[in-house]
Amino acid sequence: MLETRNLDKSFGAVHVTRNVSLKLERGERRVILGPNGAGKTTLFNQLVGEITPDKGQILLAGEDVTNLPVARRARRGLSRSYQKNTLFDGLTVEENLELAASVHAGVAMTLWRDALQSPKVRAIVEEVAEQVNLMPHIHAKVSEISYGVRRQLEVGVALATKPLVLLMDEPTSGVGPEMAKGFHDLLAGLPRDLTLLIIEHDMDLAFAVADTITVLNYGEVVFDGLPEEARGSKLLRDIYLGAWEDA
Amino acid sequence: MFRHTPLRYAALIILFSGAVFTAFTAGYFGMEILTEILILAILVLALDLVAGFGGMVSLAHGALMGLGAYAFVALATKGGLDPLVAAAAAIAITAGTGWVIGAICARSHGIYFIMATLAFGQMGYSYFFERPFFGGDDGMVGPGRFDLSFIGVDLNDGRSFALFCLALLGLVYLIAVATLRSGLGRSLTGVMHNEKRMRALGLTVWRVKADVFGISGAMAGLAGVLAAQHILFISPNLLHWTVSGEALVVVILGGLGTLVGPLIGAVAFVVLKHELSHVTTYWHLIVGLVLIAVVMSRANGIFGFIEARFGPRTDRLIQSIQTRDDAKEAVKDA
Repeated sequence: MLETRNLDKSFGAVHVTRNVSLKLERGERRVILGPNGAGKTTLFNQLVGEITPDKGQILLAGEDVTNLPVARRARRGLSRSYQKNTLFDGLTVEENLELAASVHAGVAMTLWRDALQSPKVRAIVEEVAEQVNLMPHIHAKVSEISYGVRRQLEVGVALATKPLVLLMDEPTSGVGPEMAKGFHDLLAGLPRDLTLLIIEHDMDLAFAVADTITVLNYGEVVFDGLPEEARGSKLLRDIYLGAWEDA
Repeated sequence: MFRHTPLRYAALIILFSGAVFTAFTAGYFGMEILTEILILAILVLALDLVAGFGGMVSLAHGALMGLGAYAFVALATKGGLDPLVAAAAAIAITAGTGWVIGAICARSHGIYFIMATLAFGQMGYSYFFERPFFGGDDGMVGPGRFDLSFIGVDLNDGRSFALFCLALLGLVYLIAVATLRSGLGRSLTGVMHNEKRMRALGLTVWRVKADVFGISGAMAGLAGVLAAQHILFISPNLLHWTVSGEALVVVILGGLGTLVGPLIGAVAFVVLKHELSHVTTYWHLIVGLVLIAVVMSRANGIFGFIEARFGPRTDRLIQSIQTRDDAKEAVKDA
C-alpha cells in the first residue's frame, strides 16, 4: 500500500534520511521507533510531501507519488496527524471534522450549497466522532477541550478524510498513562483494512498495536521486523540507552 | 464559521430601515451621502469577504472597483454596448481579474500578500492614468443612468437610484452570506484558521483563495459600475491605493470578519467625513484618531464592541424566551 525506495534527504551536512526502504502491506500496522533526532518526523514529512527527498521514490497503492504536492497525495489517500496539535482552534470539534470530511466528500469547493449539510459529510463526521470518542465534546470549541481530547481530535481530523494510509506522529505525545491506554483501545478499534504507520515513544503502546516494527537511528533503518524480535533485541536496547555508537 | 446571530439580524434590520427612511425623507445632499454610503458598503463587503474570512488583506480592491468603472464606461461609450450589458461585462472582467490576482498572490502571506496586491493595484492605476484611450488623468464621462423604464423606474431620480443601490447592496450581502455558507466559504474559513492542515487534508488552497477573490472582485466591480453611474464621471483616482486603504479602514472600523460590521463602518466613515469636513480640512486626522481608539480598545471594531457587550445578553434573553415557550408547550401537552 505504501512503499519507499532508497529515500534519502540531507539538510546541508546533516544526513537526516539514509537510503530508507520500507514496504507496508494493506492493513498493516507498523510502528517506527527511534531516539530523538533519528529522522522519524522528517521521514513522515517526505512521505506526505511537505519535504522533497533528494533521492528515492515514494509509492502509494503502486503509483509513484514522489513529485506530487501535499494536497494531491492526501486526495489519493495519504493522511497524517501531527506531533503538535494542528487543529482549527477557533472552531468546534464538529466543524473540525466537517472541514476534513468535506474535502473527502468532494464538496469543499462547491458554491451555493452548505457543504456541511451534505449527507456524506454528516455520515463521516458521525462515524469518526464515534470512532475516536469525540461525541461528548462534539459541540465544544477546540479551545474549550482538554489536551488529551485535542489529541483524539488530531487523529479524528486525519481519519475524516477516509485515508488508505494514516501516518500518526506520536499520537500519545504529552498525554498521561490513562489516556495512552485509551489511545490503544482507539487504535484497536480502527478498521482493519486501514494501513497505519505510527511514530511512537510509548513502548507499551508500540508493542501492543504493531504488526511490524521499524527502528530508525541517524536517519537509517537499523531494524525491521516483528515486535517479538524487537522486544528481545540488544540493538534496540542499546539505541534507547544511548550505547548504539559503542555497539 | 459565519453565523447570523440575533444581534446581527437586529443590526441589519436597523441599517436597512435607516437607509429606507433616509431615502424617503432626505433632501438632495442627504440622498447623495446615502448613495455614497451604499456604494462604499458594497466595496467593503467585498473586502471583508477576503480579508475577514480568508485573511487576505488586499490593497487591490480600489483598483478592482476602478477597473469595473472603466470597463463599464469604455464598453458603453466606446464599445457601443447597452449600459446594462456593459455593466454585466465589466463585472465579469473584474471577477476574472480578481481571480488572477488571487491565484498569483495566494502563495504569499501577511505583509507580502498586502504588498503584492498593492503592486497589482498601482499597476492598474498607472495604466489608466497614462492611457489616452481611457482619457488619461482627465478621466472619462460615463453613460447616462440605466434605463429601467420597462419596470417603471427612473434612475435619474436620486431617490430611485439610492434605492436601486440599496437593492444591489442587499443582493451582494446575500451572495456573501451564501458564499460563506457554501463548501467554498467553509474551506476559506479553514484556510484562514490553519492553511497547512487544510492542504494536508487534500484541499487545493490556492484555488479556494482565487475563487473567493474572484467573487470579491465581481462585487468590487459592481461598486465601480455604481460609482460611475452615480457621478457619471470616472478618473484614475478611483484606482488609487488610498481608495483600498480607506476601504480597509472602514472594514476595521466596523468590525473585520462580521459582514455586518463593515456596513456600520461605511455609515460611520462617510457621515464622519461629511460632518467633519464642514468643520476642518484635517478631517482625516480625526478619523485616524477614531481608528486608533477602536484598534487600541482591542474590540473588533464598532460592531465587535457591540457584540462583546450585548451579544451574550441577547443570547441569554433568547434562550430564556425559548425555555419559557418550551415550558408552556409542555404544560399544554400535559
